[in-house]
Amino acid sequence: MKNIVKKIGILLMVVSLASCSDDYLDTLPTDAVGADDAIATTKNAWASLNGIHRLLYSQHRSTQAEGGLGGIFLLSDHLGEDIAYPSTSNNTSWFGGTHKWVDHRNENSSMASYPYYFFYRIINDANLIINKIDNASGDPTEKNRIKGQALAYRGWAHFNLVQFYGKRYVAGTTNNQLGVPIMLASSEEGMARNTVEEVYTQINKDLNDAATLLTGYNRANKSHLNLNVVNGLRARVALTQGKWVDAATHAASARTGTGIALMSTTQFLQGFNDISNPEWIWGSNVLSDQTMFFYSFHAYISRNFSSSHIRTHPKSVYSDLYTKFPSTDVRRTVVATTNSTADNYPSYMSFASGVTYNRFAAASNKFWVKDPSSSVADIVNMRAAEMFLIEAEARARNGEDVLAQNALHSLNLMRRTDVPVKSVNTGQALIDEIMLHRRMELWGEGFRYFDLKRTNAPLKRDHTGTNHNNTQVGGIFNVPAGDITWEFMIPRAELNANPKMVQNPS
Amino acid sequence: MRKFTFWLTALFLVFGLNLATAQTKVISGKVSDNSGALPGVSVVIKGTTKGTQTDFDGKYSIQANVGDVLQFTFVGMETATATVGATNVINVTLKESALALEEVIVVAYGTAKKADFTGSATKISSETMGTKPVTNLSRVIEGNSAGVIVTSGSGQPGAGQDIRIRGFGSVNASSAPLYVVDGAPFYGEISTINMGDVENVTILKDAASTALYGNRAANGVIMITTKKGKKGFSQTSLSINRGISNPGIKEYERVNAYEYYPLAWESYRNSLYFRTSAPLFTIDNANGIASGTYPRNSSGLQIYPGTSTTYSDIHQLLQNNPFDKSGLNLIGTDGVLNPAAKLMYPEDMDWQGALYRTGQRSNYDLVYQGGADKTDYYVSLGYLNEEGYAVQSDYQRYTGRINVNNQATEWFKTGLNLGGTITKSLQAESGGTAFVNPFFTARLMGPIYPLHKHDPITGLVQYDADGKKVMETSRPIQNGRHSYYETILNDRIARTNTIFGKTYFEFKFLNDFKFTTNVSVDSRNYNFERYDNRFVGDGNPAGRGGRTNTLTKTVNINQLLNYTKSFGNHNVNALLGHENMDYTYRYFYGFRQGLIVDGHSELINFTTTNTLTSYEDKYRTEGYFGRLDYNYNSKYYLSGSYRKDGSSKFHEEVRWGDFWSLGASWRLDQENFMKDSNWFNQLKLRGSYGEVGNDAGIGLYANQALYELGRNNANEPGFVFQSLPNDVLSWEANKSFDVAVEFGIKNRIEGSVEFYHRISDNLLFDVPLPLTAGVGSVTKNAGTLFNEGVEITLSSDIIKKDNFKWNLNVNASTIKNEFTKLPGDKINDDGTKYYDEIITGTKKLRTGQSLYDYWLRDWTGVDPADGLSLYKFDETRTPGASERTINGVLMTTNPNNAQYHYVGSSIPDVMGGITNTFNYNNFTLSFLVTYQFGGYSYDSTYANLMHGGSSTGQAWHPDIFKRWQKPGDITDVPRLDSAQSTNISAASDRWLTSSSFVSLKSMNLTYTLPKDVAKDWGLVNARIYISGENLYLDASRRGLDVQRSFAGTTDYTYTPSRIISTGLNLTF
Repeated sequence: MKNIVKKIGILLMVVSLASCSDDYLDTLPTDAVGADDAIATTKNAWASLNGIHRLLYSQHRSTQAEGGLGGIFLLSDHLGEDIAYPSTSNNTSWFGGTHKWVDHRNENSSMASYPYYFFYRIINDANLIINKIDNASGDPTEKNRIKGQALAYRGWAHFNLVQFYGKRYVAGTTNNQLGVPIMLASSEEGMARNTVEEVYTQINKDLNDAATLLTGYNRANKSHLNLNVVNGLRARVALTQGKWVDAATHAASARTGTGIALMSTTQFLQGFNDISNPEWIWGSNVLSDQTMFFYSFHAYISRNFSSSHIRTHPKSVYSDLYTKFPSTDVRRTVVATTNSTADNYPSYMSFASGVTYNRFAAASNKFWVKDPSSSVADIVNMRAAEMFLIEAEARARNGEDVLAQNALHSLNLMRRTDVPVKSVNTGQALIDEIMLHRRMELWGEGFRYFDLKRTNAPLKRDHTGTNHNNTQVGGIFNVPAGDITWEFMIPRAELNANPKMVQNPS
Repeated sequence: MRKFTFWLTALFLVFGLNLATAQTKVISGKVSDNSGALPGVSVVIKGTTKGTQTDFDGKYSIQANVGDVLQFTFVGMETATATVGATNVINVTLKESALALEEVIVVAYGTAKKADFTGSATKISSETMGTKPVTNLSRVIEGNSAGVIVTSGSGQPGAGQDIRIRGFGSVNASSAPLYVVDGAPFYGEISTINMGDVENVTILKDAASTALYGNRAANGVIMITTKKGKKGFSQTSLSINRGISNPGIKEYERVNAYEYYPLAWESYRNSLYFRTSAPLFTIDNANGIASGTYPRNSSGLQIYPGTSTTYSDIHQLLQNNPFDKSGLNLIGTDGVLNPAAKLMYPEDMDWQGALYRTGQRSNYDLVYQGGADKTDYYVSLGYLNEEGYAVQSDYQRYTGRINVNNQATEWFKTGLNLGGTITKSLQAESGGTAFVNPFFTARLMGPIYPLHKHDPITGLVQYDADGKKVMETSRPIQNGRHSYYETILNDRIARTNTIFGKTYFEFKFLNDFKFTTNVSVDSRNYNFERYDNRFVGDGNPAGRGGRTNTLTKTVNINQLLNYTKSFGNHNVNALLGHENMDYTYRYFYGFRQGLIVDGHSELINFTTTNTLTSYEDKYRTEGYFGRLDYNYNSKYYLSGSYRKDGSSKFHEEVRWGDFWSLGASWRLDQENFMKDSNWFNQLKLRGSYGEVGNDAGIGLYANQALYELGRNNANEPGFVFQSLPNDVLSWEANKSFDVAVEFGIKNRIEGSVEFYHRISDNLLFDVPLPLTAGVGSVTKNAGTLFNEGVEITLSSDIIKKDNFKWNLNVNASTIKNEFTKLPGDKINDDGTKYYDEIITGTKKLRTGQSLYDYWLRDWTGVDPADGLSLYKFDETRTPGASERTINGVLMTTNPNNAQYHYVGSSIPDVMGGITNTFNYNNFTLSFLVTYQFGGYSYDSTYANLMHGGSSTGQAWHPDIFKRWQKPGDITDVPRLDSAQSTNISAASDRWLTSSSFVSLKSMNLTYTLPKDVAKDWGLVNARIYISGENLYLDASRRGLDVQRSFAGTTDYTYTPSRIISTGLNLTF
């Protein structure tokens, strides 16, 4: 009997060594969703699409300069001449290397890789939607709205990439120069670079497909991409490709629609921080619990947020630019002309008490945050003024001077406290005038690098009496047109992992 | 739980019956050494686990059978045996042993005599720890174990150090060792364990000793055993320690204000003179502008004749003139400071002086312990209050522990070990280059900037309406910021409540079997309070505050079945076990801004929510294991172990890993041919091989394809793609080989020489993907690296007289680390290899190189012609304007065109520690010296202090005096030129500095009251001591913290404290 008990006991012991239940080792996260579910229904696909909208105003890669699309805007303008740092004080570190034309030529620099990372991340999320949405459950019209926006994102992202990393598109040539890989599906292996021409072909296809799918789409808010946005993107692309008529036509339709109108001079002084501004065609609506803190676009470009970057270096306008505008132009009135308190602390903007900002002649008061203690502000990605300028430039370059003068005049009417005279310039003089207005109107909004590159213009920061500081630009006042340094270096991380990748000349 | 009850029932039923019928008699006696009765001697029936301990009078009693062999063991004594015969009384006298072989060490799921152990382990006993006033365990490991490398850690009270055992086993997974406290894996904060409660620490290094832990043990195991009460006597002890602390590493040298101004002038002047775009200046023009000799406009700026461009002079540029001479009379056009200039407020420009103070440390421990027939107990209470040497840094800790063991019956034993810790700690920001980090800002602050606002003419400090000094925040460096005020006005407070409990049930049956169930629970609440003040810094102007709450709970349960038996000369020990671990982490974080009323920073006292989030994480493992130890006549030893482990981090199909080890040893000293050796009183050869797994350090859900929540678009729900799936992701395998000889010579010297070779295979690698993939990396099993090294440990009683002893302990070890395969190593169709390198920061990973080999620009010096830095030109690029030929070699001044190369490693060639202990009568003096030779640090701090002037207002290192000043100067410091930061400050091998060091880590002088005197005073024991930590460091550059990180990078952190303390230990 005793032996039997013993044996049973030992048996039980051994059996019980195999103890935990089968699913003991199955665990799931609580702050994430399984990828299989993410685009299984239109409801979830909308959430995936909203995720892309949100990437435009998110903190990326733990690098303070990488505050979503705002970081791209800043990158572009710091390469240009129109943002100036008039003093030697430091604290420019985040965009200092870009301003000196160093970082984007250093394949290990985060600034060389940021656009590459940012736009391909968007492309990847868009591709996952584009390639899966047809199999999702839900209303077919809804699917079109989602897929159309994903396609628009993909086209737009490739358009940005090819301008940063490829040589400029030259109209009337075959454009066989290396562009960037066209990504239409995820790949872990990496793809070879397509030619600039191929990339533009894909961009146009995506944007045209998006336009078809989004026709009739009545969006919930301006963070979504509707037909106006897609037309605006098509206008930008056409302008870069030298398709003047397309550019003008798309630009005109982009700014035509319910709720879209040029803002008044009063609204121009409201800080470029509110998506409800009638001129905004596309923007990000940032809520207070979605702040990017010191990553935010407005933590660099605004006049009144309390960041070291702003306190030390309120962003200034190149002295050669703003002095060419009359004092009745609202775009000039937002530029401090002296370093006096009145100029630098305008009454239309709120400042925090106890915060001391450096003051400079030429400091820009264009952007400001509603509450100086928070960098939260809506961000404009596309607005009607740009469309008027595209139309004017395209018409002028196409020899249609009168149409160009009219488009420019439409904008000027809304920017002046007096009544401006319509331009009588023609030909190159008219083009120059429009380009000057474009610089002034779109200052700080991320266009300058692209404009210089697409027009094959040199960088010039050294006009007599320049307010650019030798230390801040690291001695780089001028870069000739067509120099190899106009192309960003392909990031080292891409070269590391993609054997098909070819580096830009250095 | 159901399972557990089942167990118990089964055991009671079966083995209770059996034991009741055993035939025994009671043996009693007394154990002594040459000085008298010996308490605490372990008395065990050989070949079984039955045993007891001697009481305070050295007496014991045990039930045994005739023919049983009693084994008497005590630390530091030779083991004695006696066979149970007719008599019921057995008295034994133990002889002092020189052999550490008799030492009992803690091994996986049990203990072993060192002589019998086939693996590699280092034991650090409470004697070695001595009276060191340490808060954290890592401080006693440093320098005391060969093959262990540590970082210097932080001076923040309560902070620990990173530890690596036998090299660096992983790339992206964790290379940190596993901590095991009283047999259960420990995932909490080691600093919550009161060091006074620690009996000993054992470091398990090779696979033979760690394989049984399977998962997480790949990088070694640190076993911590807490104290138990001793049966037979009760005693109470009180320890008091009081000390002061200061920085343990001297600050970097920096130039003073008188030197600073002319240097800044020169940098500005050069930036004007060397301009390459209009307007161009002659040297006289440039001198004039820098000194301020040109006419001024209404804003006070100079106007250069013929242009509209305005220029600051140097004092305008620096924005502060702390001298009693006006800005225009300060620096001549020759760049010389006015010799009559005197500083107006030199005492107010010492930023580090403001930040630092003399830290204080007080520690009180009260312990009472003892035991009667069946029960022993150990109770401790501890209070620690440590103020760091930097303001706003402290650590208060209350600890309590109760360890009770109850031998309920001869066959059933149980116990409870319950510890609780409550801590509160102010934690000033430290590390990184954020302006809020005072260690960063105070170090780089130029010597001409005061903490407070002063009248520029009189130099008098200015007061506000409340009579407080006004802080000065206006300057070109850290404008608007103030590291001192931010530090004292902000709050960074961590509070933790920790409970760790462990219970076990141990059953003995059938004479040779023992079954044990261990259940341990570790639960930790962490609350972090953050407040950024509204006056200055990141919180300015609204004020902002955050709360982080986490709850970590780990439950670990194991069941062990032990079998011990001797058949003649054959001794067998077998173990079977099962273990599961359940880890839960709950996280909550809220962050708000817009302070409503001053006084507190609770979240309700703010207007606007910036962040609000929470989540829960789970991690589970389960394992089955067994071990078989065999020895023949204590001469030949064999040991084998096997463990099957499952981890929730891997996909169902691949989550189980098989780990195993084999070890063997041969005690030559037990052989007849060695018994008469005059030389070797101890000689043992051993070797082992085994494979252990690692799943630590990667994401808990690393195999799953996920979209990340928390990416809403305004009010619309949103998520974004986060990770790719990897269904085949599985264990990183650590294959380790170890061979050693352990020896004792003439009872005077003992030591070991050991070689290991450790291969980490199937590395858990965050394989970088092309950025075009849209996700940075995917965790894969890819790549192989190895670590190998030699470890030498020697201990010698150099002098061993009755009243004077000198013991010397030396250890030395080497590490070689190398990749043999990387994820991208592939062969193309045409036979070429591609992607065999990954560049991260200052390192490049490549097959044939180590994890920590530097990959940096090849800086070649300074061009004597114009003082620019020269770099070797990368021949794959097209030469242009920035390239020049020097001595026939093409050099570049543009770092983007520079050639990179492999240049050194952060891994030292040799490292170790030397401990000297002197005993003279009742005095003991011991000191520990640690050292490291070879290896380089990448001193980015020094690089920042050697800037060319572009960082206006930033401090300079005195090496800047060696700068290039005029054509023909031969130097290795480029010219000062604020416009040339790209050229001057680029990351390159210029900033590599030797990491060799010698450090007097600790020193300790103890006086023990003679026993008879103590007795007269009613004491059992009394000691007083004085002790010092981090006393001296000799490194290649003052200020350089050579042990900051394994990767050799430097940082702006709270460097380790030098603590001088005195203490008193009394036992009643």
